[in-house]
Amino acid sequence: MISAQGLTKLYGDFTAVRGVTFDVGPGEILGLVGPNGAGKTTTLRCLAGIIMPTNGTITIAGHTMEDDAIGAKRALAFIPDEPHLFEYLSVEEHLRFIARMYGVPDVDTRLPVLLGEMELSEKGLSLPGELSRGMRQKLAIACGLLHEPSALILDEPLTGLDPAGMRRMRATISARAARGAAVILSSHLLNLVEELCSKLLVLRQGECVAYGTMDEIIATHPELSGRSLEDVFLSLTSESGGAP
Amino acid sequence: MNALLYLSWTSARNRFLSAFRRVRSPRYAAALLVGSLYIWSFLFRSPNRGATADFLLGRPSQTLITLLMVLTLAGAWVFGADVTALAFSQAEVSMLFPAPLSRRQLIGLKLFRAQIAVLINTLIWVFVLRRGGNLLPSPLRALSLWILFSTLNLHRLGAALVQAAWKQHGRIGARRNRYSIAAFAFIGLFIVAGLVTHRSIYLGRGIGEFFTGLSDVLSSEPASIGLYPFHLIVAPTFARSIAEWRWAILPAIGMLLLHSFWVMRTDAAFEDAAIEASAERARRIEAFRGRRSFGTITGPKAGRSTFRLAAKGHPALAILWKNMLCLRRTVQFRLFVGPLAMAIAFGAAVASAGGDTAGFVSVTAATFALMMVVFGGRLIRNDLRHDMLHLPMLKSLPVAPSHVVFAEVASAALPMAALQFILVVIAYFASLLAERQPIPASIRLAIVVASPIAVLAINGALITVQNGMAVLFPAWVRLGSGVSTGVEALGQNVLAMMANLVTLGIALVPPMIVAWSSVLFLNASRGLSLAFVLVVASVVLTLETYGAMRFLGRALNRVEPLQTV
Repeated sequence: MISAQGLTKLYGDFTAVRGVTFDVGPGEILGLVGPNGAGKTTTLRCLAGIIMPTNGTITIAGHTMEDDAIGAKRALAFIPDEPHLFEYLSVEEHLRFIARMYGVPDVDTRLPVLLGEMELSEKGLSLPGELSRGMRQKLAIACGLLHEPSALILDEPLTGLDPAGMRRMRATISARAARGAAVILSSHLLNLVEELCSKLLVLRQGECVAYGTMDEIIATHPELSGRSLEDVFLSLTSESGGAP
Repeated sequence: MNALLYLSWTSARNRFLSAFRRVRSPRYAAALLVGSLYIWSFLFRSPNRGATADFLLGRPSQTLITLLMVLTLAGAWVFGADVTALAFSQAEVSMLFPAPLSRRQLIGLKLFRAQIAVLINTLIWVFVLRRGGNLLPSPLRALSLWILFSTLNLHRLGAALVQAAWKQHGRIGARRNRYSIAAFAFIGLFIVAGLVTHRSIYLGRGIGEFFTGLSDVLSSEPASIGLYPFHLIVAPTFARSIAEWRWAILPAIGMLLLHSFWVMRTDAAFEDAAIEASAERARRIEAFRGRRSFGTITGPKAGRSTFRLAAKGHPALAILWKNMLCLRRTVQFRLFVGPLAMAIAFGAAVASAGGDTAGFVSVTAATFALMMVVFGGRLIRNDLRHDMLHLPMLKSLPVAPSHVVFAEVASAALPMAALQFILVVIAYFASLLAERQPIPASIRLAIVVASPIAVLAINGALITVQNGMAVLFPAWVRLGSGVSTGVEALGQNVLAMMANLVTLGIALVPPMIVAWSSVLFLNASRGLSLAFVLVVASVVLTLETYGAMRFLGRALNRVEPLQTV
């Protein structure tokens, strides 16, 4: 459903991402982790078609980003860590705009349900400037979920949410995957990754240092057996590449 | 105090180094050069600078400036001091207020920081006034201006501190500052007494007599007693000889020292007021940016007024719809007042001398339409110049980049073309009723017939050029509603404007050639044949614009969000 083959992104002489390859099938949730500056956001932006990779192929729901970017984007939802909203569109107008963009036919039916789900029913006419950080994040999430994407990319989705919102977001991610969506979740919250993700991709300085299920990763690093995800993460991403 | 000096020094050094590093990049170096040339031409090359300076340094100006100063400061005392006088930056509030620093040290930092603005103002005014009053050398004028601006800054801060103390501690706070309150109350009392007692000298007369009378009243007792301390502050600046300046400078320095003593002695608990002031300053900066530019939401609950988007249709139309809502919620009609006033003035000058109202309306509407062609693109910016800041969002949408460019250009070009078309129609029908008709009826008819396609073509081309700059050179164009400042920003604006004009000039060459050829071929320069020529030229321009938009679509696909920062 989401596939990256040899994904590389260079900024001049600086390599942000080098030769990253992974696949996320329907119903799978891939956890993308790595220290700050590891190349997670660059990877996600390439996958979302926001930036063009220097090398490599990205395929979303059978559409390659290079040849059929519109088809790929139509199947995709990208929810960034910082909600990018149009300051002059109200909550409801954002959703109508997205509905038209993605050709959602029954927007009038879906809109109140989604607004209720995100606790934004009372804020339909509010502009982003009148919303709290958490509410803006909920609106960005609602925009992402409106067209029932078959591929979902989330960058730090819990940022700014209250505890109830976090719980609901976790449930939403699981439910979307259960309905067959391929999900990529980037987060520094390792307990969230451990709870939700079926696979893990660990990046360090733009390169993949581990990829697979937790068991597969442990199999290739037997010294990490029986350790928590946090220990595994710290071990894989430390400068020496060994145990901290 | 060492830490505060370190903060000030490192902030200034880092700012300078960052500007210096930027200038090593060719585009900033070019912008700095152009900006410096522009300022140089403004400050040094103005042919009327001597006359301006003489006017500014005259006695009437001295009285007027003294009075304005008193009124400003009186406003601060009577209606509440300018709260931003106490403002610190958000970082200073969160780091310095909890730090083990005395209030006096914080005030010292505030005064030290204010010196940057004081020195810049001093420098500018020295240049502006340097040819006036030839007898006073620039260094002496600079010292006088520095004393004037520093004293004013101290007074604003002092008034804000007294008010903060009053607000915080009520009567006790007022009692602590009784001497300063009493001093300003006496000053006010003398001035008001003078203005009331001698009101017959300046009231109920013509505008010229009003100012002369007012000046006389302010120069005589009792108002002159009240104004005396302010005269002391401004006197060195207006001195017309070195001897006069020598007499004036010592009392002015005395006033400066008195103000310094007053401010540093005022130990008011100003933290709450300062935090409020800092928030207020941030809000004012935002409002200032909004005033100067397109793109700030106007009016509360703007989201309640909307127009509906059909659920089905081409996705690019959703971008058009979005940008129309942007225009509706952000356009500031007062930005149009300037061009409209100029059009009215021109219309009045050309047509209304003989009471020809229809002629006046016709000329005004036509002039305003032309001015909208020239300035419209700077007033309406609901296109990529605004949306490039939302590039990650735009690029993640399932729409072809060339369609995004079409929709964005149409968002600004359509409303401008509609406005210009309405103005052309008004101009045409008013011209039918006008007494004088300098342009033949057939040509006027040709213009109005061709205008729908002509205004669309010209606005499409203009907006495409401006959007092209935003896509191809995002770092050179002001994006969104922010206002960039500094010499480089000024230079960038000038360069971007020149590039726009050159590109448009080149784009207009093929339509002009086609139009000229058509005129020769048709052997007609009047009536409907002229309309035909205008339409053909518009079609050529539209085809060019179409090609440019396709090219920009490919460029938009390649541009990355980082490049827009």
